[in-house]
Amino acid sequence: MTKEQRLKKRHNAEKRFRFYGLASIFFALLFVLILVHNIFSKGSSAFMKTAINVEVFYDKDLLELEPGVSEEEILEADFFDITIESLLKVYPAKNMDEEDALIELFTTDAEIEIKKAFLKNKNLIGKKINLEITASDDIDQLHKGNYPRDLPEDRRRISNFQLEIYDALVENKTINKNFNNYFFKNGDSRDPEIAGIGGALVGSFYSILICLLLAFPVAVLASIYLEEFAPKNKITDFIEININNLAAVPSIVYGLLALQILLATIQLPRSTPLVAGITLALMTLPRIIIPCRASLKAVPPSIREGALAVGASKFQSVFHHVVPLALPGTLSGTIIGLAQALGETAPLILIGMVAFVVDIPSTPIDPSSSLPVQVYLWSESAERGFVEKTSATIMMLLSFLIVMNFLAVYLRQKFEKRWN
Amino acid sequence: MELMNNVKIKSKNLNVYYGEKQALFDVNLDLNEKEVTALIGPSGCGKSTFIRCINRMNDVIDICKVSGNIEIDGVEINDKNLDVVSLRERVGMVFQKPNPFPKSIYDNISYGPKIHGKGETKSELDEIVENSLKKAALWEEVKDRLDEPGTGLSGGQQQRLCIARAISVNPEVILMDEPCSALDPIATAKIEELIDELKKTYTIVIVTHSMAQAVRVSQKTGFFHLGKLIEVGKTEKIFKNPDNKMTQDYITGRFG
Amino acid sequence: MNFVLIFLITIFSLSLFFYGRSKTKSIAIEKNIKLNALPKFYGYYLVLWCSIPSLVFLLIWSLFEPVIIKSIIIETAANQGAIFNDKNEANLIYEKIKAIHLGTYFGDIDSILRESALAYAKFINLFTNSKVVLIFAIVIVSVIYSLKKINKNNKARDDVEIILKGLLFVSSLIAILTTLGIIFSLLFESIKFFSVINIFDYLFGTNWSPQRAFVRDASSITAAEFEELKDAFGFIPLIAGTTFIAFIAMLVAVPIGLFSGIYMAEYASLKIRRISKPIIEILAGIPTVVYGFFAALTVGPFFRQIGENFGLTVSSESALAAGLIMGIMIIPYVSSLSDDVINSVPQSLRDGSYAIGATKSETIKKVVIPAALPGIIGSILLAVSRAIGETMIVVMAAGLAANLTINPLESTTTITTQIVMILVGDQEFDSPKTQSAFALGLTLFIATLILNYIAQRAVKKYREKYD
Repeated sequence: MTKEQRLKKRHNAEKRFRFYGLASIFFALLFVLILVHNIFSKGSSAFMKTAINVEVFYDKDLLELEPGVSEEEILEADFFDITIESLLKVYPAKNMDEEDALIELFTTDAEIEIKKAFLKNKNLIGKKINLEITASDDIDQLHKGNYPRDLPEDRRRISNFQLEIYDALVENKTINKNFNNYFFKNGDSRDPEIAGIGGALVGSFYSILICLLLAFPVAVLASIYLEEFAPKNKITDFIEININNLAAVPSIVYGLLALQILLATIQLPRSTPLVAGITLALMTLPRIIIPCRASLKAVPPSIREGALAVGASKFQSVFHHVVPLALPGTLSGTIIGLAQALGETAPLILIGMVAFVVDIPSTPIDPSSSLPVQVYLWSESAERGFVEKTSATIMMLLSFLIVMNFLAVYLRQKFEKRWN
Repeated sequence: MELMNNVKIKSKNLNVYYGEKQALFDVNLDLNEKEVTALIGPSGCGKSTFIRCINRMNDVIDICKVSGNIEIDGVEINDKNLDVVSLRERVGMVFQKPNPFPKSIYDNISYGPKIHGKGETKSELDEIVENSLKKAALWEEVKDRLDEPGTGLSGGQQQRLCIARAISVNPEVILMDEPCSALDPIATAKIEELIDELKKTYTIVIVTHSMAQAVRVSQKTGFFHLGKLIEVGKTEKIFKNPDNKMTQDYITGRFG
Repeated sequence: MNFVLIFLITIFSLSLFFYGRSKTKSIAIEKNIKLNALPKFYGYYLVLWCSIPSLVFLLIWSLFEPVIIKSIIIETAANQGAIFNDKNEANLIYEKIKAIHLGTYFGDIDSILRESALAYAKFINLFTNSKVVLIFAIVIVSVIYSLKKINKNNKARDDVEIILKGLLFVSSLIAILTTLGIIFSLLFESIKFFSVINIFDYLFGTNWSPQRAFVRDASSITAAEFEELKDAFGFIPLIAGTTFIAFIAMLVAVPIGLFSGIYMAEYASLKIRRISKPIIEILAGIPTVVYGFFAALTVGPFFRQIGENFGLTVSSESALAAGLIMGIMIIPYVSSLSDDVINSVPQSLRDGSYAIGATKSETIKKVVIPAALPGIIGSILLAVSRAIGETMIVVMAAGLAANLTINPLESTTTITTQIVMILVGDQEFDSPKTQSAFALGLTLFIATLILNYIAQRAVKKYREKYD
């Protein structure tokens, strides 16, 4: 091999090596794009719901209600018959089977929607009104273009007759897409068209709030102790090793801890944001202590010495001077820790947050779900409509995380003093 | 004119910038073959910057810009298309602080020949390692422990190991950037002895803080001040009878 | 009740603060003496004495009250003639008694239950009353003590600081308490598990099928049931599946992470670095359940489709899909850490290599990486420990059946998946099946602990070398 050939080979090797590096970074970035695109393209349709315009006749005889009826009476009244009557008017059905098929196009909550409209306006007795009744999950998916209609009929959940009705509705423009308020307002449901993340949002909020209230003060106090007051001895070393190890313990182990100590021993109520919050706090604690200590360490000793030199006690020098300076770093570390806790799933599954909860929790000791657990639950469901709901939940979760992370970066860049 | 060796390296109007700051101003300096040239001057005067131009080590620093010419054997090296890898094979360098690789003594020396394809077989490599160590006057001290890490040697030995590493690829020029500043006097004496021996084969440029060292080892001396080459000439002349007032002040210790 | 007590203590503490502050001020003026600390510290001093002992007492009391009441009630119910065979039935009866007391029980109430409910009401009353009395006693004693102290013009600031320092120390102890809590809760159930299942049967068994272990009460097992149990809890398929998936993940994460780390540390301009580093770190910030969803719904079916095109049978829950996605999740753990580690290799080593005429990649491969190796290995070990402890991706995308295979296209299961599968939904405590989840947790905890310890030592040693 001549010298030139050899040099050329070496330079080619250099180029290849550089390319591998660039390709690796590119691959990682590409994956982020693919993932985000995949979730958004699947999930964005969940923010709209399909509704069918139905003329509802609040027939006095069928309702058996008189004008001036009280709220309680309405709540107890049976709206089933007028619901069926109204829905059947949408399209001519020849026999019982066809009638059933027609009614299947609407959500099972159609009766409740008709009742709610009546609650808003009690003068409707004996009158007709046009209402947008939510369509069933299958029609919703069909209308959003997520349902393949070219399958043979026996492999389709929607019959030919139902397709015929659907096409007629499209022709008449009586089928529309509206903003899906159910998705934000409702709790979980077996029916995708009325299932929402309201319960999960509240559950996540309570859990993270409790996590913050418990983990933040303890983490700050512990970091202050370890960084400023702790004598350099075996106990301190041991605590330090412990914290580093705890930060790397798999999250599911915290679930086992919570199951054994919080649920089995102390007997706190299962499936509640209270237990979730405590579990997440234990898990987040070491993850907050580490950045807290780093930002305390970054405050130069001259600040402490300056305070001590004017006769402040060690405590005053720390609490009046060092801690305020370290606060931006501490807060940003806490927010990042909370963001991780917000996305945590495995330990919450173990403490029973997978329970099917329809009601939106009003206190932290009501059974509840959380956003990531809701993702897990819905992703296990077979209904097509849950795919878009799951993706939309992920979109919500990711946007919270992005906001939190931006906040953390902002705090650090805006308020953190650089020491040279 | 006295008889002088051929000019090996020639710099013409060399300017160097670190970002906004100019570090060298129009340096014109000729360096002779098989001779030791010493560069002296106060800290930050640009002498290290100058020798780092000769093997284009300044390329490593992103913000550093070089303009002007440097020729080695009449070939311009400040050319974008020039291969720095083969340039550095011809121009070796020894640094201020010994920087042996965290590998065995043997691997430290054989690294250069291996990447340049100079020793194809084990026995060839063995020979190169032995010769380089011998030339660097380190062979006797380390021949029984070639497998031990180079970082385990004493400071002086480490610096000689770095010299041996530079010699291993058989360069034409060796640049030394204050090679003795981190060493004790005994180790310094050994390195100086070695430089005297090496000049028979190599063109050597040494940056030094110590004027005594410049007198002891060099044939030619250049004096830098604030990025400018103030005066250059035969070492004897520079130290006995400099032309420039500033040089006079510096060598008599009035500033620096 | 607890909230009322906390509220009262807070109000009382606050008023004590103002009292203490003005009292010491007036003493100072009256007797014309110099105080040993600023008046407000006497206020703080009283507040701490009033609140801390009572609140700590309240916390401890609240933790133990339900446990104690429960055991008393179950015992009284048993004395009344209630019959229950195991803990679960005892719990059920206890819940019934509680519900009767709260008026939310609508089943038939027999005399035993009625008597027990009355006893329950009595005990609840007794406990609440004694709690209130004791807390008031504690508050009064500690306030009298602290008032006496401040009358003597003690060094209130020093005392306050000592107490606060104690508080700081206790906060840092919570980390140790958490570790102890983990160890005890895992050991407690694991020991019960290993008293039924031989530890060697567990460690070396090749069959994992805990659903066979329907036995409810571990204390009364027949010989036939025991034989059945013996080979239902073989750990080998789980550890095999876990390492296999972690291995696939590392095949993805190590080269990509390492190369991106190297590129960012050695080649990238400041601008590229500033953009790409945070974007890569997004990968570590995405919740794992999102990866699980993506792996299960997009990547798994995609691989199956590709497999079909090549005539291969690919399980839609394949080790390959789970491992690949897990690997991508781990990329930033490898890349950031190795980026840091490579950055801390001193520049003089690179200069030495460039000066002999090595190219950049030769310098990286032969000088920088060998020098950074302990740190890089440390970061890879941390990534491995992440991989084996990862739960959601494998739960959603790797499969549930324990399947001893090395075919990446088949489904396998992992330790974490099995923990979730066993504990999700209703659990029966005291069944070997439930306990086995804790034994798995203990195994996982020990494995990750060892990996983390080695990794952190390696990184720390490496840091010290170049500091």
